[in-house]
Amino acid sequence: MSLALLLFVSSVAGLVGAMAGMGGGVVLIPVLTVLGVDIKRAIAISIVSVIATSSGSASAYVRDHITNLKVGMLLEMFTIVGALVGASIALVSSQRLLFLLFGGVLLASWIALWLQRHEAWRPIDRQDRFSRWLELRGCYDDRAIGRRLEYRAGRAYLGGPLMFGAGVIAGLLGIGAGALKVLIHDLVMGLPPKVSTTTSNLIIGVTALAGTSVYLSAGLIDPGLAAPVILGVTVGAFAGTRVLVRVSNETVRRIFLCVLIVLALEMIDRGLRGG
Amino acid sequence: MRPRLDMELVVGGILLAGVTSSMVLLTAGLAWHWTRSGNTALDYSLAGTSIFEFVLSDVKALTPDGLRPRVLVNLAIAVLLLTPYVRVLASVLYFALVERNLKYTVFTVFVLLVLTYSLFLR
Repeated sequence: MSLALLLFVSSVAGLVGAMAGMGGGVVLIPVLTVLGVDIKRAIAISIVSVIATSSGSASAYVRDHITNLKVGMLLEMFTIVGALVGASIALVSSQRLLFLLFGGVLLASWIALWLQRHEAWRPIDRQDRFSRWLELRGCYDDRAIGRRLEYRAGRAYLGGPLMFGAGVIAGLLGIGAGALKVLIHDLVMGLPPKVSTTTSNLIIGVTALAGTSVYLSAGLIDPGLAAPVILGVTVGAFAGTRVLVRVSNETVRRIFLCVLIVLALEMIDRGLRGG
Repeated sequence: MRPRLDMELVVGGILLAGVTSSMVLLTAGLAWHWTRSGNTALDYSLAGTSIFEFVLSDVKALTPDGLRPRVLVNLAIAVLLLTPYVRVLASVLYFALVERNLKYTVFTVFVLLVLTYSLFLR
Protein backbone atom coordinates (compact mmCIF):
# COMPACT_ATOMS: atom_id res chain seq x y z
CA MET A 1 0.00 0.00 0.00
CA SER A 2 1.45 3.39 -0.95
CA LEU A 3 2.30 6.05 1.59
CA ALA A 4 0.25 8.66 -0.28
CA LEU A 5 -2.93 6.57 -0.19
CA LEU A 6 -2.55 5.77 3.51
CA LEU A 7 -1.90 9.44 4.30
CA PHE A 8 -4.95 10.60 2.36
CA VAL A 9 -7.39 8.02 3.72
CA SER A 10 -6.33 8.55 7.30
CA SER A 11 -6.50 12.35 7.13
CA VAL A 12 -10.13 12.12 5.99
CA ALA A 13 -10.86 9.69 8.84
CA GLY A 14 -9.24 12.09 11.30
CA LEU A 15 -11.23 15.09 10.07
CA VAL A 16 -14.58 13.34 10.30
CA GLY A 17 -13.69 11.74 13.61
CA ALA A 18 -12.65 14.96 15.32
CA MET A 19 -15.70 16.88 14.13
CA ALA A 20 -17.94 14.26 15.67
CA GLY A 21 -15.94 14.07 18.89
CA MET A 22 -14.62 10.64 18.05
CA GLY A 23 -10.98 9.56 17.93
CA GLY A 24 -11.16 8.76 14.23
CA GLY A 25 -10.92 5.02 14.79
CA VAL A 26 -14.53 4.32 13.90
CA VAL A 27 -13.87 5.68 10.41
CA LEU A 28 -10.32 4.41 10.12
CA ILE A 29 -10.82 0.73 10.99
CA PRO A 30 -13.55 0.01 8.43
CA VAL A 31 -11.50 1.81 5.76
CA LEU A 32 -8.29 -0.06 6.61
CA THR A 33 -10.08 -3.41 6.47
CA VAL A 34 -11.53 -2.47 3.07
CA LEU A 35 -7.94 -1.78 1.94
CA GLY A 36 -7.06 -5.31 2.98
CA VAL A 37 -5.54 -4.89 6.44
CA ASP A 38 -6.36 -7.69 8.89
CA ILE A 39 -8.95 -6.42 11.41
CA LYS A 40 -6.81 -7.12 14.47
CA ARG A 41 -3.90 -5.18 12.97
CA ALA A 42 -6.29 -2.40 11.93
CA ILE A 43 -7.54 -2.24 15.51
CA ALA A 44 -3.98 -2.12 16.86
CA ILE A 45 -2.91 0.67 14.47
CA SER A 46 -6.08 2.58 15.13
CA ILE A 47 -5.63 2.56 18.88
CA VAL A 48 -2.14 4.11 18.56
CA SER A 49 -3.40 6.79 16.19
CA VAL A 50 -6.24 7.44 18.62
CA ILE A 51 -3.66 8.58 21.19
CA ALA A 52 -2.43 11.19 18.71
CA THR A 53 -5.82 12.50 17.61
CA SER A 54 -7.35 12.66 21.02
CA SER A 55 -4.30 14.28 22.60
CA GLY A 56 -4.00 16.71 19.68
CA SER A 57 -7.62 17.82 19.86
CA ALA A 58 -7.66 17.70 23.65
CA SER A 59 -4.70 20.09 23.83
CA ALA A 60 -6.69 22.76 21.98
CA TYR A 61 -9.93 22.19 23.91
CA VAL A 62 -8.20 22.11 27.27
CA ARG A 63 -6.48 25.44 26.61
CA ASP A 64 -9.82 26.90 25.46
CA HIS A 65 -11.15 25.88 28.93
CA ILE A 66 -14.01 23.80 27.51
CA THR A 67 -12.83 20.42 28.84
CA ASN A 68 -13.77 19.48 32.41
CA LEU A 69 -10.52 18.08 33.85
CA LYS A 70 -12.06 16.67 37.02
CA VAL A 71 -14.80 14.81 35.19
CA GLY A 72 -12.10 13.51 32.84
CA MET A 73 -9.72 12.32 35.51
CA LEU A 74 -12.45 10.71 37.55
CA LEU A 75 -13.79 8.71 34.63
CA GLU A 76 -10.31 7.70 33.40
CA MET A 77 -9.99 5.42 36.41
CA PHE A 78 -12.75 3.30 34.97
CA THR A 79 -11.87 3.45 31.28
CA ILE A 80 -8.21 2.41 31.56
CA VAL A 81 -9.00 -0.76 33.50
CA GLY A 82 -11.73 -1.46 30.96
CA ALA A 83 -9.29 -0.95 28.07
CA LEU A 84 -6.81 -3.49 29.45
CA VAL A 85 -9.62 -6.02 29.80
CA GLY A 86 -11.07 -5.25 26.36
CA ALA A 87 -7.77 -5.48 24.49
CA SER A 88 -7.00 -8.82 26.14
CA ILE A 89 -10.38 -10.13 24.97
CA ALA A 90 -9.71 -8.89 21.41
CA LEU A 91 -6.53 -10.96 21.16
CA VAL A 92 -8.49 -14.19 21.56
CA SER A 93 -11.64 -13.20 19.61
CA SER A 94 -12.45 -14.31 16.07
CA GLN A 95 -12.41 -11.75 13.23
CA ARG A 96 -16.10 -12.22 12.49
CA LEU A 97 -17.06 -11.58 16.07
CA LEU A 98 -15.00 -8.37 16.05
CA PHE A 99 -16.77 -7.11 12.91
CA LEU A 100 -20.20 -7.89 14.36
CA LEU A 101 -19.36 -6.34 17.72
CA PHE A 102 -17.98 -3.24 16.01
CA GLY A 103 -21.11 -2.81 13.94
CA GLY A 104 -23.35 -3.56 16.91
CA VAL A 105 -21.67 -0.97 19.11
CA LEU A 106 -21.99 1.70 16.43
CA LEU A 107 -25.61 0.82 15.75
CA ALA A 108 -26.52 0.89 19.44
CA SER A 109 -24.89 4.32 19.79
CA TRP A 110 -26.77 5.53 16.75
CA ILE A 111 -30.17 4.36 17.99
CA ALA A 112 -29.67 5.97 21.39
CA LEU A 113 -28.64 9.27 19.83
CA TRP A 114 -31.40 9.16 17.22
CA LEU A 115 -34.05 8.80 19.92
CA GLN A 116 -32.60 11.87 21.62
CA ARG A 117 -32.07 13.99 18.49
CA HIS A 118 -34.75 16.60 19.16
CA GLU A 119 -33.81 17.09 22.75
CA ALA A 120 -31.65 20.09 23.35
CA TRP A 121 -29.28 19.93 26.31
CA ARG A 122 -31.08 20.32 29.64
CA PRO A 123 -29.11 21.46 32.65
CA ILE A 124 -29.26 19.37 35.81
CA ASP A 125 -31.29 21.25 38.44
CA ARG A 126 -30.45 19.15 41.46
CA GLN A 127 -27.06 17.53 41.69
CA ASP A 128 -26.88 14.31 43.73
CA ARG A 129 -24.68 14.35 46.84
CA PHE A 130 -22.06 11.98 45.47
CA SER A 131 -21.49 14.09 42.33
CA ARG A 132 -21.34 17.23 44.45
CA TRP A 133 -18.75 15.56 46.69
CA LEU A 134 -16.76 14.81 43.53
CA GLU A 135 -16.82 18.52 42.62
CA LEU A 136 -18.34 17.84 39.21
CA ARG A 137 -19.25 21.28 37.92
CA GLY A 138 -17.84 23.86 35.58
CA CYS A 139 -18.40 26.62 33.08
CA TYR A 140 -17.10 27.60 29.66
CA ASP A 141 -17.53 30.32 27.03
CA ASP A 142 -19.69 28.98 24.23
CA ARG A 143 -18.62 30.74 21.03
CA ALA A 144 -21.66 29.52 19.07
CA ILE A 145 -24.20 31.09 21.46
CA GLY A 146 -21.81 33.86 22.48
CA ARG A 147 -22.08 33.59 26.26
CA ARG A 148 -20.75 31.78 29.32
CA LEU A 149 -22.49 28.51 30.14
CA GLU A 150 -22.48 27.11 33.69
CA TYR A 151 -23.31 23.48 34.32
CA ARG A 152 -23.19 20.71 36.90
CA ALA A 153 -22.76 17.00 36.25
CA GLY A 154 -24.80 14.37 38.04
CA ARG A 155 -25.18 10.62 38.51
CA ALA A 156 -21.46 9.91 38.78
CA TYR A 157 -22.34 6.63 40.57
CA LEU A 158 -23.82 5.44 37.27
CA GLY A 159 -21.40 7.20 34.91
CA GLY A 160 -18.30 5.55 36.44
CA PRO A 161 -19.29 1.90 35.98
CA LEU A 162 -20.68 2.66 32.51
CA MET A 163 -17.34 4.18 31.59
CA PHE A 164 -15.68 0.89 32.51
CA GLY A 165 -17.85 -0.65 29.79
CA ALA A 166 -16.85 2.10 27.34
CA GLY A 167 -13.21 1.33 28.18
CA VAL A 168 -13.71 -2.37 27.43
CA ILE A 169 -15.19 -1.48 24.02
CA ALA A 170 -12.32 0.97 23.36
CA GLY A 171 -9.67 -1.65 24.09
CA LEU A 172 -11.56 -4.41 22.30
CA LEU A 173 -12.25 -2.51 19.09
CA GLY A 174 -9.35 -0.05 18.99
CA ILE A 175 -11.60 2.95 18.84
CA GLY A 176 -11.61 5.85 21.25
CA ALA A 177 -15.19 4.73 21.96
CA GLY A 178 -15.84 8.46 21.97
CA ALA A 179 -19.33 7.64 20.73
CA LEU A 180 -20.13 5.81 23.95
CA LYS A 181 -18.28 8.21 26.19
CA VAL A 182 -20.13 11.19 24.74
CA LEU A 183 -23.37 9.29 25.18
CA ILE A 184 -22.67 8.59 28.85
CA HIS A 185 -21.63 12.21 29.47
CA ASP A 186 -24.70 13.59 27.67
CA LEU A 187 -27.45 11.27 28.73
CA VAL A 188 -26.35 9.96 32.12
CA MET A 189 -24.28 12.76 33.60
CA GLY A 190 -25.98 15.72 31.92
CA LEU A 191 -22.90 17.50 30.56
CA PRO A 192 -23.46 20.01 27.73
CA PRO A 193 -22.59 18.33 24.38
CA LYS A 194 -19.46 20.40 23.77
CA VAL A 195 -18.08 19.69 27.23
CA SER A 196 -18.86 16.02 26.82
CA THR A 197 -17.14 15.65 23.43
CA THR A 198 -14.06 17.59 24.54
CA THR A 199 -13.77 15.80 27.89
CA SER A 200 -14.19 12.50 26.08
CA ASN A 201 -11.17 13.48 23.96
CA LEU A 202 -9.03 13.87 27.06
CA ILE A 203 -10.09 10.51 28.49
CA ILE A 204 -9.54 8.71 25.19
CA GLY A 205 -5.78 9.40 25.19
CA VAL A 206 -4.97 7.48 28.37
CA THR A 207 -7.55 4.80 27.61
CA ALA A 208 -5.91 4.18 24.24
CA LEU A 209 -2.47 4.03 25.86
CA ALA A 210 -3.61 1.24 28.16
CA GLY A 211 -5.07 -0.64 25.17
CA THR A 212 -1.93 -0.04 23.08
CA SER A 213 0.24 -1.76 25.68
CA VAL A 214 -1.69 -4.99 25.16
CA TYR A 215 -1.50 -4.83 21.35
CA LEU A 216 2.19 -3.90 21.40
CA SER A 217 3.02 -6.83 23.65
CA ALA A 218 1.14 -9.12 21.24
CA GLY A 219 3.30 -7.85 18.34
CA LEU A 220 0.26 -6.55 16.44
CA ILE A 221 1.49 -2.99 16.00
CA ASP A 222 3.15 -2.58 12.64
CA PRO A 223 5.11 0.72 12.69
CA GLY A 224 5.50 0.80 8.90
CA LEU A 225 1.75 0.87 8.47
CA ALA A 226 1.07 2.86 11.63
CA ALA A 227 3.39 5.77 10.79
CA PRO A 228 1.55 7.27 7.79
CA VAL A 229 -1.81 6.51 9.42
CA ILE A 230 -0.92 8.34 12.64
CA LEU A 231 0.37 11.34 10.70
CA GLY A 232 -2.67 11.53 8.41
CA VAL A 233 -5.25 11.06 11.14
CA THR A 234 -3.63 13.70 13.34
CA VAL A 235 -3.46 16.33 10.60
CA GLY A 236 -7.10 15.63 9.73
CA ALA A 237 -8.18 15.77 13.36
CA PHE A 238 -6.40 19.08 13.84
CA ALA A 239 -8.42 20.58 11.01
CA GLY A 240 -11.62 19.09 12.45
CA THR A 241 -10.94 20.61 15.86
CA ARG A 242 -10.72 24.13 14.45
CA VAL A 243 -14.15 23.64 12.89
CA LEU A 244 -15.84 22.13 15.97
CA VAL A 245 -15.57 25.18 18.22
CA ARG A 246 -17.32 27.30 15.59
CA VAL A 247 -20.41 25.19 14.97
CA SER A 248 -23.49 24.69 17.14
CA ASN A 249 -24.13 21.74 19.45
CA GLU A 250 -26.96 20.54 17.17
CA THR A 251 -24.72 20.47 14.09
CA VAL A 252 -22.12 18.40 15.92
CA ARG A 253 -24.78 15.88 16.83
CA ARG A 254 -26.13 15.72 13.26
CA ILE A 255 -22.72 15.01 11.72
CA PHE A 256 -22.14 12.36 14.32
CA LEU A 257 -25.43 10.59 13.48
CA CYS A 258 -24.75 10.42 9.71
CA VAL A 259 -21.26 8.98 10.14
CA LEU A 260 -22.33 6.40 12.70
CA ILE A 261 -25.12 4.78 10.71
CA VAL A 262 -23.09 4.29 7.52
CA LEU A 263 -20.21 2.64 9.38
CA ALA A 264 -22.47 0.51 11.57
CA LEU A 265 -24.21 -1.05 8.58
CA GLU A 266 -20.92 -1.57 6.72
CA MET A 267 -19.32 -3.47 9.59
CA ILE A 268 -22.37 -5.62 10.36
CA ASP A 269 -22.57 -6.54 6.68
CA ARG A 270 -18.94 -7.64 6.71
CA GLY A 271 -19.44 -9.65 9.89
CA LEU A 272 -22.38 -11.48 8.36
CA ARG A 273 -20.49 -12.18 5.13
CA GLY A 274 -17.62 -13.56 7.18
CA GLY A 275 -15.13 -10.66 7.07
CA MET B 1 -10.34 31.22 44.17
CA ARG B 2 -8.34 30.35 41.08
CA PRO B 3 -5.14 28.42 41.80
CA ARG B 4 -1.94 30.24 40.91
CA LEU B 5 -0.96 27.75 38.26
CA ASP B 6 -3.36 27.31 35.37
CA MET B 7 -3.70 23.53 35.18
CA GLU B 8 -5.45 23.68 31.84
CA LEU B 9 -2.52 25.47 30.22
CA VAL B 10 -0.09 22.91 31.64
CA VAL B 11 -2.10 19.88 30.51
CA GLY B 12 -2.79 21.47 27.12
CA GLY B 13 0.89 22.37 26.77
CA ILE B 14 2.10 18.83 27.54
CA LEU B 15 -0.32 17.29 25.08
CA LEU B 16 0.56 19.82 22.39
CA ALA B 17 4.32 19.41 22.89
CA GLY B 18 4.09 15.60 22.87
CA VAL B 19 1.92 15.33 19.79
CA THR B 20 3.82 18.05 17.89
CA SER B 21 7.26 16.55 18.50
CA SER B 22 5.94 13.10 17.61
CA MET B 23 4.49 14.44 14.36
CA VAL B 24 7.72 16.26 13.49
CA LEU B 25 9.75 13.06 14.03
CA LEU B 26 7.19 11.07 12.06
CA THR B 27 7.22 13.53 9.15
CA ALA B 28 11.03 13.56 9.15
CA GLY B 29 11.21 9.76 9.23
CA LEU B 30 8.66 9.31 6.46
CA ALA B 31 10.13 12.07 4.29
CA TRP B 32 13.60 10.56 4.66
CA HIS B 33 12.26 7.15 3.72
CA TRP B 34 10.31 8.64 0.79
CA THR B 35 13.30 10.45 -0.71
CA ARG B 36 15.49 7.38 -0.29
CA SER B 37 13.20 4.76 -1.77
CA GLY B 38 10.40 6.56 -3.66
CA ASN B 39 6.70 6.38 -2.82
CA THR B 40 6.48 2.97 -1.17
CA ALA B 41 5.27 2.04 2.26
CA LEU B 42 7.72 1.37 5.04
CA ASP B 43 7.84 -2.34 5.43
CA TYR B 44 8.78 -3.62 8.84
CA SER B 45 7.04 -4.91 11.91
CA LEU B 46 7.83 -5.39 15.57
CA ALA B 47 8.00 -8.49 17.69
CA GLY B 48 5.93 -8.39 20.86
CA THR B 49 7.45 -6.03 23.39
CA SER B 50 6.49 -3.84 26.31
CA ILE B 51 6.18 -0.07 25.85
CA PHE B 52 9.10 0.36 28.25
CA GLU B 53 11.42 -1.90 26.25
CA PHE B 54 10.23 -0.30 23.00
CA VAL B 55 11.12 3.19 24.22
CA LEU B 56 14.43 1.98 25.62
CA SER B 57 15.53 0.30 22.39
CA ASP B 58 14.65 3.45 20.39
CA VAL B 59 16.74 5.64 22.63
CA LYS B 60 19.64 3.17 22.36
CA ALA B 61 19.43 3.25 18.54
CA LEU B 62 19.94 7.01 18.58
CA THR B 63 23.60 6.95 17.57
CA PRO B 64 25.16 8.58 14.49
CA ASP B 65 25.63 5.11 12.95
CA GLY B 66 22.27 3.70 13.94
CA LEU B 67 20.13 6.61 12.75
CA ARG B 68 17.78 5.48 9.97
CA PRO B 69 14.24 6.46 8.91
CA ARG B 70 12.73 3.66 10.95
CA VAL B 71 14.53 4.80 14.10
CA LEU B 72 12.91 8.22 13.72
CA VAL B 73 9.51 6.61 13.14
CA ASN B 74 9.90 4.36 16.20
CA LEU B 75 11.01 7.31 18.27
CA ALA B 76 7.95 9.27 17.12
CA ILE B 77 5.69 6.43 18.28
CA ALA B 78 7.57 6.23 21.61
CA VAL B 79 7.11 9.97 22.22
CA LEU B 80 3.44 9.62 21.37
CA LEU B 81 2.95 6.73 23.80
CA LEU B 82 4.60 8.65 26.62
CA THR B 83 2.54 11.81 26.09
CA PRO B 84 -0.64 10.74 27.98
CA TYR B 85 1.57 9.21 30.66
CA VAL B 86 3.38 12.50 31.29
CA ARG B 87 0.04 14.31 31.29
CA VAL B 88 -1.25 12.06 34.08
CA LEU B 89 2.03 12.48 35.98
CA ALA B 90 1.64 16.25 35.78
CA SER B 91 -1.96 15.97 36.98
CA VAL B 92 -0.86 14.01 40.05
CA LEU B 93 1.70 16.71 40.93
CA TYR B 94 -0.84 19.45 40.35
CA PHE B 95 -3.58 17.96 42.54
CA ALA B 96 -1.08 17.02 45.25
CA LEU B 97 1.06 20.16 45.37
CA VAL B 98 -0.88 23.07 43.89
CA GLU B 99 -4.54 22.41 44.52
CA ARG B 100 -3.86 20.14 47.55
CA ASN B 101 -6.97 18.17 46.70
CA LEU B 102 -6.67 14.76 48.38
CA LYS B 103 -9.60 13.18 46.54
CA TYR B 104 -8.26 13.98 43.11
CA THR B 105 -4.68 13.18 44.08
CA VAL B 106 -5.84 9.66 44.97
CA PHE B 107 -7.80 9.36 41.71
CA THR B 108 -4.90 10.46 39.51
CA VAL B 109 -2.39 8.30 41.42
CA PHE B 110 -4.61 5.31 40.69
CA VAL B 111 -4.61 6.17 36.98
CA LEU B 112 -0.83 6.60 37.06
CA LEU B 113 -0.32 3.21 38.72
CA VAL B 114 -2.46 1.38 36.17
CA LEU B 115 -0.65 3.13 33.31
CA THR B 116 2.74 2.28 34.84
CA TYR B 117 1.65 -1.36 34.98
CA SER B 118 0.70 -1.19 31.30
CA LEU B 119 4.10 0.30 30.36
CA PHE B 120 5.77 -2.89 31.56
CA LEU B 121 3.13 -5.27 30.21
CA ARG B 122 4.46 -7.92 27.86
